[in-house]
Amino acid sequence: MNYFRTLTRRLLVFLAVIGPGVITAFADNDAAGVATYSVAAARYGYSMLTILIPITIVLAVTQEIGGRIAIVSQKGFADLIRERFGIRVTMVMFLLLATVNFGVIVQDFTGLKAGFHLFGINPTIFLPAATILLFLFIVKASYHTIQRFFLVLIFFYLTYFFSAILAKPDWKLALTSLVIPTGTLSFGYLFTAIAVLGTTVTAWGQFFINSYVKDKNIPVENLRYSRWEIYIGAILTDLFSLFMMVAVTATIFVHQLPITDAAQAAISIRPFAGPNASALFGLGLIVAGFLGAIIVPLTTAYAFSEFFGFSGSLDEPFHKSKTFYLLFLIQIVAGLLVTMLPNISLFSITLAANFVNGAILPIIFYFLYSLANNRNLMGRYQNTRIQNVLLVGAGIIITIASLLGIIGQIMRW
Amino acid sequence: MLYFSELKGKQVITDTGVKIGKLTDLVFLAADQPIITKIVVDTPRGEPLTIPSSHIKTLIPPITVTSDITEDSLSQNELYITKNLLDHQIIDITGNKVVRVNDVVIQERPTLLIAGVDIGFLGILRWFGIDETVGKILRNLGIVVTSRFLSWTDFQPLELTRGKVVLKKEQHKLDNLMPEDLADHLEQMTAENVLHVLSLLPEDRAAHVIENLNITFQSSLFAKFTAKRSAKILTRIDPDEAVDILLTLTETKRGQILLLLPEEKQIELNRLLTLSTTPIGNLITSEYLTVSPEDTVRKVLTKIKDQTRHFSALSYVYVLNKAGQLTGVVNLHELLLQPSDTLLYRFMTPSVVVIHLETPVEIAVKKMLKYKVEALPVIDSKKMIIGIVTFDDLAETLLKKL
Repeated sequence: MNYFRTLTRRLLVFLAVIGPGVITAFADNDAAGVATYSVAAARYGYSMLTILIPITIVLAVTQEIGGRIAIVSQKGFADLIRERFGIRVTMVMFLLLATVNFGVIVQDFTGLKAGFHLFGINPTIFLPAATILLFLFIVKASYHTIQRFFLVLIFFYLTYFFSAILAKPDWKLALTSLVIPTGTLSFGYLFTAIAVLGTTVTAWGQFFINSYVKDKNIPVENLRYSRWEIYIGAILTDLFSLFMMVAVTATIFVHQLPITDAAQAAISIRPFAGPNASALFGLGLIVAGFLGAIIVPLTTAYAFSEFFGFSGSLDEPFHKSKTFYLLFLIQIVAGLLVTMLPNISLFSITLAANFVNGAILPIIFYFLYSLANNRNLMGRYQNTRIQNVLLVGAGIIITIASLLGIIGQIMRW
Repeated sequence: MLYFSELKGKQVITDTGVKIGKLTDLVFLAADQPIITKIVVDTPRGEPLTIPSSHIKTLIPPITVTSDITEDSLSQNELYITKNLLDHQIIDITGNKVVRVNDVVIQERPTLLIAGVDIGFLGILRWFGIDETVGKILRNLGIVVTSRFLSWTDFQPLELTRGKVVLKKEQHKLDNLMPEDLADHLEQMTAENVLHVLSLLPEDRAAHVIENLNITFQSSLFAKFTAKRSAKILTRIDPDEAVDILLTLTETKRGQILLLLPEEKQIELNRLLTLSTTPIGNLITSEYLTVSPEDTVRKVLTKIKDQTRHFSALSYVYVLNKAGQLTGVVNLHELLLQPSDTLLYRFMTPSVVVIHLETPVEIAVKKMLKYKVEALPVIDSKKMIIGIVTFDDLAETLLKKL
């Protein structure tokens, strides 16, 4: 009985800390993520799956460090960068983050547009309408309503599970590829792998989880629950990445069809896996688009507020956090406008933007490393040796892989 | 007034011209008087030097120190600007609005100390050396951006040593302030807010604070006070100041207030009031020069050459804001010491000693002696400058009376 009571209490605490880790991790699979995973799977098939476990580890470790820093210091990532590294570093980081994020926002709107198209909804009318609704929702709704909305959206990621089943993949080969490398290492593979990494472990993800955890005011006593919430989020999100990639591989890669974005993937799945799989894949894309189109611009707005000293929180009314909400609005409107431009090819943007996202990770890791090992800041919650080894190792590998990838792209190997 | 952004990374030399290194940080005392005690210089050899500020000859670049510099270590209660103040967030208790210390404002005279912090957008731009350019562009577009300044008196120095920048709570803050400082602080607020703050203070302190406010503020406050309250306050403040205030009021109100005063005080003030029959108006001269706070030193010097050729004397340049109100003063010595591209608002004295048309000559002379100035601007109730009176003119009138 006693044991049962402890268990219930623990479960309740766990439910109380749920949100930041799971939401951030799933948002990492936004429309930009779906597109990158689709393109990667269509090109390299099961061999691309090998990267999933390392990505999950890097995601779990880095997000946990970010969340821990926020809980222990009660400060956001951007707050700490500004306070410890000064205004010049801050300005560079903000410009980098805002640029990279904008690339992601455009991709999310593109995903939405394509998703709308897929279901015969006219994007010219409904995409602007959805944008306005999105803005009103963020301004009007409270922090808790928004969080609940995110959690509902996440539920829709199950669609990828069903499309994977319907695609009738070679599960044995898929699971083997997960642990044993099956592909040949080429520069194209490296470049794509970094892009996949860059869409999952993101710069904005680091900023977002931090601000979000800070906004949630999780007490230090609940640190270990929060840690597991983040780990579970990372594992779940990559499990759905796996389904997504498997669905694409079993249909598009196997038949060697060229695709350049997620909507094409949804269409190309149809002949092999049936209309239901295709529709589910498309629905997943729309949900991913919404999630990204809210969270990524929010991250830039959060970071701006923290970097430069403005009031910014989802819990504050419009007039109090004007700069925060306006920044959010500017980004989604600009994203919408770029997406609505006729005849714009976003294929090269997709991979390139996510490649840059991956390539700036070592910088983010450096900040994480220096903050999480600061005794004054973290006290007894400093990084453990294994966390440091993983963080530094991931930073070094990503740096080398990015350099090789970019050289490969330039030399057209 | 100097900004930390303009000092950081600047070359430090000795008065014999030997280069020592670059200034990286300043050390200050976490106290009510945040005196800058040491400077940190990064030497090319790698070991940073901590030099006591007694060796500083000037902080205005090129930063010069005496050649017999010694080293010193940090003592208790000493903090670094970059580590403990700059870039930190300030939590404003009233609005919970989070702002950041974008720059630190340093005052060189009379003692080298931190005057306050800049929390405005210009403070960020200054680090990139584009504050003036962007400011100019925005001005041309009709948007005026100014620095947002928080005075040191607003902070809790003790919290700084604990790694936090915290503002004082209103009540707590008021108790620890010198009346002079509080008055300076209040002059930035609206009359309603001032009334509110004054009502929080014990009467004696309130009177002291009012005494230190400028005359325009004083008269607008007394216009709102009842006769009874006015009388109470007037009994507590310096008779010279009291007369100055009474003269700005209507004759009926003045009469009412006088009747409510204790007899002794009444006689004294009445005597001073009759003195004021010598109107300042007869002594006013229009030989003064006004400029804008955004004028450069170069422009002001040209103006002096062009417009004051026929003046018999010129000691001060008065600074008027866009509305034409007197907002600052600069003496010629200060002007000549500044580099020619400096904007006037950067070094003008914002609290100007002024008199009114009704101010008695005796009081005007006393003010000049007290503040050691050679001329006083005469302003009207809207803070518009009417003219100036010079010490020699006033002295002459007094002599004739003897």
